[in-house]
Parts: sequence; structure tokens; C-alpha cells
Amino acid sequence: MSTLALQTGQRIRDRLRHDALGLIALTVVVAYVGIAVGVWLGLWGAEWSALSGPGWASPSAEHWLGTNRLGQDILARALASTATAFEIGVLVAVATTVLGALAGGLAGYAGPGKVDDTLLWLIGTLEAIPFYLLVAALVFALGGHPLAMHLAMIATFWTSTARLVRAETQRIRELPFIEAARVAGLAPRAIVLRHVLPNAAHILLVQGTLVFMAAIKVEVVLSFLGIGVQDSISWGVMIAEGAQDILAGQYWNFAAASLFLFGLVMAANLLADQLQDALDPRSLDSRWQPHG
Amino acid sequence: MSHQADLPALVLRRLAGALPLILGVTLISFLLTVHFGPDQTYALIGKNPTAAEVEQLRSELGYDQPFVVRYADYLKRLVTLDLGHAQATGESVRAMLARTIPISVLLVAPGFILGTLLALGLAALAAWHQGGALDRIISAVSVVGMSLSLVVILIGLQAVFGVWLGWFPVRGWAVSGPADYLHHVAVPTMAFVIATLGYNVRFFRAVLAAEMTSEQVRTARAFGVGPLRIMVVHVMGSSLLPIVTRILFSLPLLVISGSLLIESHFGIPGVGRITFAAITSGDQPVLMAVVGLSALLFVLTVTVADLLCRLVDPRVGQR
Amino acid sequence: MRWTLVRWTHAGSRMAEQLLSVRQLIVEARSPHGRSVQLVRGLDLDIEAGEILGLTGESGAGKSLTAQVLMGLTPPGMMVAGDSLIRWRGRELNGLAERQWRKLRGSQFALIPQNPMTALNPTRSIGSQMRYLLKLHRQTTGRMATEAAARALSRLAIPDAGRVLERYPHQLSGGMAQRALIAMAVLCRPKLLIADEVTSALDVTSQAAIVDQLTGVCRESGTALLMITHDLGLVARSCDRAAVMYFGRIVEQGPVDSLFGEPRHPYTAGLLAAIPGRADPSQTRLNSLAGQVPDVDWRPSGCSFAPRCNKAAERCIDREPENIKEDERSYRCFHPLLRSP
Repeated sequence: MSTLALQTGQRIRDRLRHDALGLIALTVVVAYVGIAVGVWLGLWGAEWSALSGPGWASPSAEHWLGTNRLGQDILARALASTATAFEIGVLVAVATTVLGALAGGLAGYAGPGKVDDTLLWLIGTLEAIPFYLLVAALVFALGGHPLAMHLAMIATFWTSTARLVRAETQRIRELPFIEAARVAGLAPRAIVLRHVLPNAAHILLVQGTLVFMAAIKVEVVLSFLGIGVQDSISWGVMIAEGAQDILAGQYWNFAAASLFLFGLVMAANLLADQLQDALDPRSLDSRWQPHG
Repeated sequence: MSHQADLPALVLRRLAGALPLILGVTLISFLLTVHFGPDQTYALIGKNPTAAEVEQLRSELGYDQPFVVRYADYLKRLVTLDLGHAQATGESVRAMLARTIPISVLLVAPGFILGTLLALGLAALAAWHQGGALDRIISAVSVVGMSLSLVVILIGLQAVFGVWLGWFPVRGWAVSGPADYLHHVAVPTMAFVIATLGYNVRFFRAVLAAEMTSEQVRTARAFGVGPLRIMVVHVMGSSLLPIVTRILFSLPLLVISGSLLIESHFGIPGVGRITFAAITSGDQPVLMAVVGLSALLFVLTVTVADLLCRLVDPRVGQR
Repeated sequence: MRWTLVRWTHAGSRMAEQLLSVRQLIVEARSPHGRSVQLVRGLDLDIEAGEILGLTGESGAGKSLTAQVLMGLTPPGMMVAGDSLIRWRGRELNGLAERQWRKLRGSQFALIPQNPMTALNPTRSIGSQMRYLLKLHRQTTGRMATEAAARALSRLAIPDAGRVLERYPHQLSGGMAQRALIAMAVLCRPKLLIADEVTSALDVTSQAAIVDQLTGVCRESGTALLMITHDLGLVARSCDRAAVMYFGRIVEQGPVDSLFGEPRHPYTAGLLAAIPGRADPSQTRLNSLAGQVPDVDWRPSGCSFAPRCNKAAERCIDREPENIKEDERSYRCFHPLLRSP
């Protein structure tokens, strides 16, 4: 690791120490992680599908946020959905980052030529198709595969990461220390993996946070449309239920899922801002816009 | 001046440059909807078919042709606008699009226009007072807006204005005049504005704020030029390329992606709803037409954005 | 090279109108650690009608900031102290409303910026930008405006002014763009021009020509010029008076001939000695300007130049030297360099 990459951690710590908002955002994200871990450990939220009370019960000591139409506990469902959100968000963010970093790093390091042209063509093509149309079509083409939604998101999200990494790689490869590595006889692949990508770490970190958030937001839309999470619970599934409940004058289901969703997305947004400011303060805010 | 003289040649060159993109998009749509799409034979054929009947239908659907031939045929039909008939209803796809696209345009246009203007105005205010209290308030509100899901906004507005206050219809599209139209379009418009405002304000603010610190703006101020003219002529005038590009680029995506969600939720018979129905039922002719045409629309938009900027900003394309 | 040059002397300098009079100008900024720091620390400056005054010093002295403040364009995050005086033809400008400033800028005084290639609006033709200024400040439009704009360009020896008016900034060379900017600045016949390092972005060959044209236009029309530059050669060549700025304050000022001929302040002497080709190898110590302009956070108790001065004594560090007046010139130093017999 080069010193540049090591500074990343230091700069983030400095930033968070001096900025209350960043610290609050980090605390909120950590709290959500705690909820998700609790669900995985079976501490809470395990009873999300049990019919534990009368339908549409008001909040009480037993059901803190009331129950849904079927009599399932809304709080348990919202908590269990937190784990679902992290499963989707982390999987999509990690896969997108790896794929985008490799493709962008390769094209950027190769420089103008066939590899670069092909990558740009693929990115342009994927971005020319309306987002939800592409995702929905992918979900259906993958025909009921349990990870169909995840794969569809990865297939569409990686382009922006690749674009950013490609530009940054093109910049880094002109720096003197890369020239020195080349002269020292390092193979291109080793140069990209050991020197170029670690120095693009700040982009991957910020972009990874944004993709995490986008995946959670898009899950909600897809589940709402009925092509997202199946046979499990998620905020999107709850909101889809809640939309029906509202017509009957029942707001708890919708409100609980919406607030859980909003809290995590807002905290991730603020954290991404703080990371961006700490790591790359000069960059123009032309941030990637998640769809949803 | 001279930069307008060769306009037709320029348009042709731009469109020719977009050919790989068009091929790419159509290839993907072909792969997803036809090649890897579900086998339609048994969905279309009658009960107890004979082997000969199956064979004949497969031949009609082109399943016995090699990949390249089927793709070429797909392209030919797209270019000649021979879009075929929907499998579900038998209605001509062209007629379906002619019926649904105007509804979608009417549905998203007010939100799109209002949202863009509002975002530009707020971004200009924030950029002008860069670093000040107003800037921070606008930025904070933008982050909140960015964190709201379009679905939540839609349902929330529906709950407040439809169910609770009862001002606007909850579903459907019974439009026969301007009054009906405003009545039906109000909630989707509000949803669009809220959902896009945060992202747009942030983007426009960043672009305008960068230009605000440019030397030409400082010079203009040093010559006594007033704030409104500086913002409109100097700052926005010089940032036209990113602004126009973003506005135009969001257009085709918005019409399909945005209307897909809103129309399926509110039960509005626009192009988004028939697209979604086609996706879930695997209706190939409809999907093929929508994906292909939206790609063409995208390419056209890119070309228009490019030309527009060339006409307005003398720097573009001269180097 | 000799520093005594035959030059235009503006008639009756004692009688000329006092255009700008700055007293105790203090400009403060917040440092990254939240403390407030002074970037301009009590600057006194006078400019008379028609005179050409050079403001010089190393980068970081606060020259450009002073120019911006005098135009009422204090950068965001900085502020002018309330008791600083900026008097324009008898009228106090410190604290003036932005709306009032706007009426003065471009019509009473104008700024010529550093980098001509980025200082013009890239989307409007030169003519359109000039006509707008005439409409704004002189209510002149139509043919009259076009002709006035063309005349202003011609005064800067721009051939074929009519065609240049139709050009866009990116179609001009650096030198041509700088001439166009000067033409824009003199267009509405201001009383004072402030030229901020106007030659720094140009190549050496066109620098001299442009400065001569600038001073020529000013002398012809009786416009005063405040020329901000770190190039002492330029000051010697074109200015009537010079003011040397160090760490937010003017340490020495006076007529160019006597100031450069017999510098009193060691800093002035050091700047002069640092000009290549001028230093007399037998006498001048080459390290006479060692060290750097101090950090803005530093708060000197005495003379701010003391840490770099080879004549500094104890009192230089303890106390701040007063402004000592001597005929037409003045300096702030306890140990001035006096004429060697």
C-alpha cells in the first residue's frame, strides 16, 4: 500500500472528529448495522411472519408499532427488513465495486485502444436504456433466479463506478511513481492492483456507499412493482402492503417502513458527503444519481 | 457566423457516430426479450397441437433461424417501424404507442418542467450565496429530498391529498378537459418535483457555483454588471453545456422509468404501464418496440443536446 | 541600466485632484483554525488624478487583495475593518451598499484582470460585451455604442477594430484579449484604472508593448492608473510613483526616480538587488532577500520584515517603526539606508 492510500483512513478520522453531522451519520449507520446483526443472530425480528395478533391492531405494549392486515407485528417486520436491506445493499455494493474497479482500471490503464473503446461502448449502451426497463427486463430474463434482482442491479450499477475509476486511472498512470514501477519491471496487472487501484480507493469508497444506498432504494421500487424481494420481507414489500392499507385508513405499516428506509438512506447520503469532502474536496459535485 | 454553416452535415455525422450505440442497445434488447426470452410457442398455440402445427408456428416465429438472421430481421422491423401486434391483445403496437405515449407525456411534462425550473432557481440562489446561510439551508433540504424514495413520496402524497384531504383522485385517468387534467396530474407532478429536486439542485448548484468563482464573473462584477445579468448571462450562459445535457438526458429516462412506476401505481394507461405489463407477460413485440424506440430517442436527444450547445456556446466544437 | 528616465510628468502634481485616499485599511479573514488574521494591516495610499502609481512587492504581500477591496469586491470570508477609510473624491466608500458600488465600478474606476483568456464572457462577442457596458453606464446604444467601442479598440492600436468586435474571446490571442479588456476598462472613461498583474499571463515579447499602450491611453486621457505588479522593471519603466508592499502594509513609497535610485527601506533595496543583471556583484550581498514572506497567522510585535532583515536590531523586533516622511517619499524603518557619501 502506498502512503496515499494510508492517508485515506487518517483523513476520514480527522473529518469525522471535526464534523458533528458526519459523526451522527456514522452513528446512525452503525445503529442500523447493529439491528441487522441482531436479526442475523436471532435476537429480534425472527417472528416477522407469525400471525401474532388481530389484524390492524393499534400500537400497544405487545405490538409497539401495531400489526398489519394479517396481524403480523410491524416492528418485527421492519427490523427483519433491515437485515434484508443490508444483504442486498452490501452484496450489490461489493460486487459493483469489484466489477467496476476491474473494468475501469483495465480500460484506464490500457489507454486509448480497443479495450477502452469496447468498455465505453458497453457503458454507453447500458446507460442508453431506461433504467427500470433494463432492470425489469433483466429480472425477467433471469427467470425467477433468487438473485435475479441483485444481478440486475449489479449489471446496471457497475457502469458509473467503471467510468469514474477509468478516469482516475488515466490520471494516476501519468504520475511519476507509476512510471518508476514500470521501469522497475512490474507487470501491468501488478501495477494496477498494487498501485493504481489503492490510490483510487477514495472513489471506490464514496461510490460504494452511494451504490449501497441506491440498491436499497431500488429494491423498494422493484418490490413495490412486485418484481423484487420474493418470499421474504423488505421495506419495499412493507410499503407495497402499506399502500393498500392506506386506502383503508391504516398508516402504521407504511410509516414504519418509510421511516426505517429514510433514516438509513439519509445517513448513508450524509456519510457519502463527508467521505467525499474528506477525501476529494475539490471534485465537482456531479454525483451519480441513483434511480428511485 | 461560420459555426452554423455546416449544420446538416453535422447532424448526419453525429447520427452516424451514434450507430454503434444503436446497435448495442438493440442487441441487448434483442438478447433479453427474444433470444433469452421465454419460448412463446405453447403460449400461442391451441390445445392439443400436432407436431406439424408446432413446427409451423416455430417457423413463423423464426425460432428455426440462426441468431444473426433473427437479429437482422429484428433490426429491419424496428427501422421500418413494422412493429407487429401485441401478443396479449392482438392490437397493433403502433396504435398502442400512439394511444399511450401522449398520456405519458402529459403526465410527466408538468413535473419535469416545474422541477427543472425550480431546481435551477434554487441552485442559482444557493450558488450566489455560496457558503452562506441560504446555501446551507438549500443544501440541507436537497439531501433530505435525495433521501426520499419516489415510492414513498407517491404513496405519501396519495395518502395526504387523495385519501385524507380528498382533493385529488387516487387512481385512474378520466381526463376529458383541462380541469380533469389538472386534477389528475397534480399528485404525480408534486411527486416528480420532490423526487428530482434534491439531485437536480445539487448538480446545478455545483455547476453554477464553480462558474461563480470564475475570473469572467469577477471581471463582470468589476465592471459594475448587476447580479441578475451575471447569473443569467455570465454564469448560466457559460454552464449551458452541462445544464442542457443533464436536462435533456433525464428526459427519455424519465418518460419511461418515471411513468413506469407512477402509471402502474395509479393505473394510468400510459406507455409505462403497457411496458410493465409487457415485461411481466413477456410480450415481445411491445418490449421490442419500447426498448428500441427509447434507445433511438436517447440518441436523438444526445444529438439535439450537442447541436443546441453548439448554437448557443461558440466555444463548443471549435478547438 | 539607469533608473532615471525622462518621462511625462503630470502637470502640476501638487494641484491635481486627490482621487483615492486610503487610510488604515485593514482586511481580515478567518483562518482555518477559526482565528481571525489580518491580510492587509493598516495600509495608507493616495492616488491623484492622472498619475501612474506602481504597487509592488512579493506575491503574498496583499497587493491583489487590496485591489479587490478598493473595487468593493472583498472576497467571501473576508471583511474590511469598520474604521478603515476608503475615500473616493471626498466620498467615503467603506460600508457603501452593493447597489452604490455597482454604479461606480466600470464607470468611475475599473479593474483590468490578470488572465485575459478567462476574464471575458466566452459566450458573447467582444462587441456585445462592450456595448452592454456602454448601455449600463453611459446609456449609449445602437450605432453610437458600436462606434465608441471600435474607437476604444483603435486607441489600443488594434487594427481592424470593426472585425474584432464580432469576435468571440476564444478567437483572440492572449495579447489581443488583454487589449480588448483594457479597451473595455477605458470604454466608459473612468477616472482610475486598476491593473492587476496585467502582463503575467502574456509572453515576454508582448508584455512591454501592452504596458506602453496601457500607460499611453491613460496619459492621453488623463486617467489615473494603479499598476499592481511584482515586476520592478515595469514600475521603473512606466510609473510616476511607486509603493512597496510587505506583509499587508506599505513599507516605502515615493517618486520612482528617488525610490529606486536611493531606496531607504532594506526590503526595497533587497527587491532591487534581486533583479538579475542589476546587482553589482562587488558590493551587494546576493542573499539580501533570503527567507520568505511570513505565514498569515504570524502576528509580529515589531517590524514584520525584521526576521529577514540583516540590519534588524532589538527594537525592530519590539516596536513597530513609524511612517517617516521625507520630502515626497516615506518609509517605515528604524535603520533606513541613507545615501552613501
